[in-house]
Amino acid sequence: MRLRVVVAAALAVALGVMAATAGASTGRQQANKLTVWLQVDAQSGWPDIVAAANQQFQSDHPGWTVDVQYQNWGDHLQKFDATLAGGNTPDVIEMGNTEMTKYMAAGAFADISSFKSNFANSANWLAGLAKSGMYGGHLYGVPYYAGSRVVTYRTDAWSKAGIKALPTSLSQFTSDLSKLASANKGTQGFSPVYIAGTDWYYAMSFVYDYGGSIAYTHAHKWVGNLDSKASIAGLTAWKNFWLAASKASKTSNEGNPAPYDIFSQGGAGAIIGPGWFSCCTGTKYKSVTAQFVMPSHVRGKAMPGFLGGSDLAVPAPSSNKALAADWIKDFTSTSSERGFQAKGNIPNATNLLGSSVNERAAARSWFVPAAKHWVDVENGNILRTMLSEILGGKFTVKQAATLASDNITATLNQP
Amino acid sequence: MPYGLILPVVVVLGAILGYPIYSLVRLSLQQYGLFELIRHQGRYVGLHNFGLVLHDPVFWHTVVRTIIFTIANVGLTMVIGTLTALLLVRVSAWVRILLTAGLVLVWAMPPVVAVQVWNWMTNYQNGVLNYVLTELHVGNFFHHDWYATTFSQLGIVTVLIVWGALPFVIITVYAALSQVPAELVEAAEIDGARPWRVFLDVTMPVIRPVLLILTSLSILWDFGVFTQPYLLIGQPAIHPGNYLMAIYLFEEGYFKNDYGRGAAISLLMLVIVAAMSVVYVRKMVRIGEVQ
Repeated sequence: MRLRVVVAAALAVALGVMAATAGASTGRQQANKLTVWLQVDAQSGWPDIVAAANQQFQSDHPGWTVDVQYQNWGDHLQKFDATLAGGNTPDVIEMGNTEMTKYMAAGAFADISSFKSNFANSANWLAGLAKSGMYGGHLYGVPYYAGSRVVTYRTDAWSKAGIKALPTSLSQFTSDLSKLASANKGTQGFSPVYIAGTDWYYAMSFVYDYGGSIAYTHAHKWVGNLDSKASIAGLTAWKNFWLAASKASKTSNEGNPAPYDIFSQGGAGAIIGPGWFSCCTGTKYKSVTAQFVMPSHVRGKAMPGFLGGSDLAVPAPSSNKALAADWIKDFTSTSSERGFQAKGNIPNATNLLGSSVNERAAARSWFVPAAKHWVDVENGNILRTMLSEILGGKFTVKQAATLASDNITATLNQP
Repeated sequence: MPYGLILPVVVVLGAILGYPIYSLVRLSLQQYGLFELIRHQGRYVGLHNFGLVLHDPVFWHTVVRTIIFTIANVGLTMVIGTLTALLLVRVSAWVRILLTAGLVLVWAMPPVVAVQVWNWMTNYQNGVLNYVLTELHVGNFFHHDWYATTFSQLGIVTVLIVWGALPFVIITVYAALSQVPAELVEAAEIDGARPWRVFLDVTMPVIRPVLLILTSLSILWDFGVFTQPYLLIGQPAIHPGNYLMAIYLFEEGYFKNDYGRGAAISLLMLVIVAAMSVVYVRKMVRIGEVQ
């Protein structure tokens, strides 16, 4: 009996020691590893450019490896918050340009102003993108790439429907829709243009096209503007276009299902999205994929496209700030930016701009209000809810827009 | 002396359970946002967070919606569970084995995996549910959006949660039913009692304690459910009109980075669930006394 007790006690002590030392060894960070968080867009769009940057970094810094972890737009901020609380932040993080302000204001990023001259073409950064990475006169985010929205379409479906020329106005596009619909009556659920119900990036383009806006500042306060006459006209135009164009679920979002998946399955004559969507339209339609700029309701003009973009920032708790800045330098080099451009994105500097469809679309663009709490409007799905209410008929355009506008005013004016 | 022997357990439990609760209460009394998170330092504001939450109409709407949701879920789980357990008693051994095996498989499925499968089944573009219902001529369910309205969204979530909760309830009630003396049931049937009376007068008193525990647990779980509704409805479709309490807490606390407010909401949730459980337990005990 006593022997058993002694053996049991010894085992318990041994286990305890093992547990304690195991905890200690996992607590120690991998000494020569740089952790980079990029979004899945890079994983599916340009993994070769990521690999090239890693290669360059590793040859410049022997003994160091780069661990790239791909994140989803939906939850990467919560994961980042968790690392901020725990102290094990990545060394580089890709942030959406609409997400930067809140985190810069809270002091989440390291000041990399001293490294600015190292970054390629930093004197010529696109104004809109560069602004999203600056706070209080200091640089916190390096512009990575930008993108407008374009129409990716199937040339075979369009010619079969008897459409001779690309539309130059919204009304022309609308009549093309009915041609596409009747030519594809045999395919159940075919969308002339597949657009997700709550794709607010696209819906707001109509608002800005008709002269409205999401919000503006007046006497240091934000005022929601979706209930203005111009905005309501834009939303009404969007509603009519959507109902004629898309057979998507009225509550779906633009990420799920991916529009290019619907395209590749033959369920759409065209899709709206970033320029790089052309990567993934499937082997069947690869040779008949082309793009054009979404036309405005005014003949000959382009509809303003959402100028999305990403910045690369170095979280403040990182212990490898100089190395992180060096990796960013490698990833945003001129050759990398040319690579992003070739994939259908807009490079980060004016001296690199070309005349691709995407870049022409960016000539007329809109951007979200530069408010600290804008990301709360996005996360609270205020615009998405408004759009699905309009499409579903739960509220009239005016009612839904007024509700959303009041909500936006309240959210943006939080302390 | 005997109490001294349980001291180690009490200390460990106190540390594991007590410290997080103390931490939570402390957090609810602080202003703790993104700014404070980065500096690991909050600012005391007393009961300000509680005041903010209690004055927020979204909170009250969410409470009512979650209570109705909980009643629906718990009601369906307990009724279907008890009926199925009664069925299990009567069927042959083979059927019982098959049914139990199926229930255990459902029970063993991780919730996130289950949500993914249900997501695919109810998919708008190519879900099997739409396909089967259309083929069976129940109606035209081609491209039916099961997540079009709040009622439909929470309805599908209810089906998923009840499906996942039934195995535990069925197997536990089945075990409890084995305690019902067969002679009593036979005697009651010989006396001419109808099945409903047999259940109420003979079976129920024996299994009441088990039903009590299961219902209290179900209330606890279903009131605070998060995984299934959040993943099934999907973050882009979540808005104050279809919030449940745990999702409201997550949105306020984590998405808006107001951790102090999130802590206040979770403490208020605790109070509400405790109140619901007390009301229910007292009612059940009182029914027992009358009998």
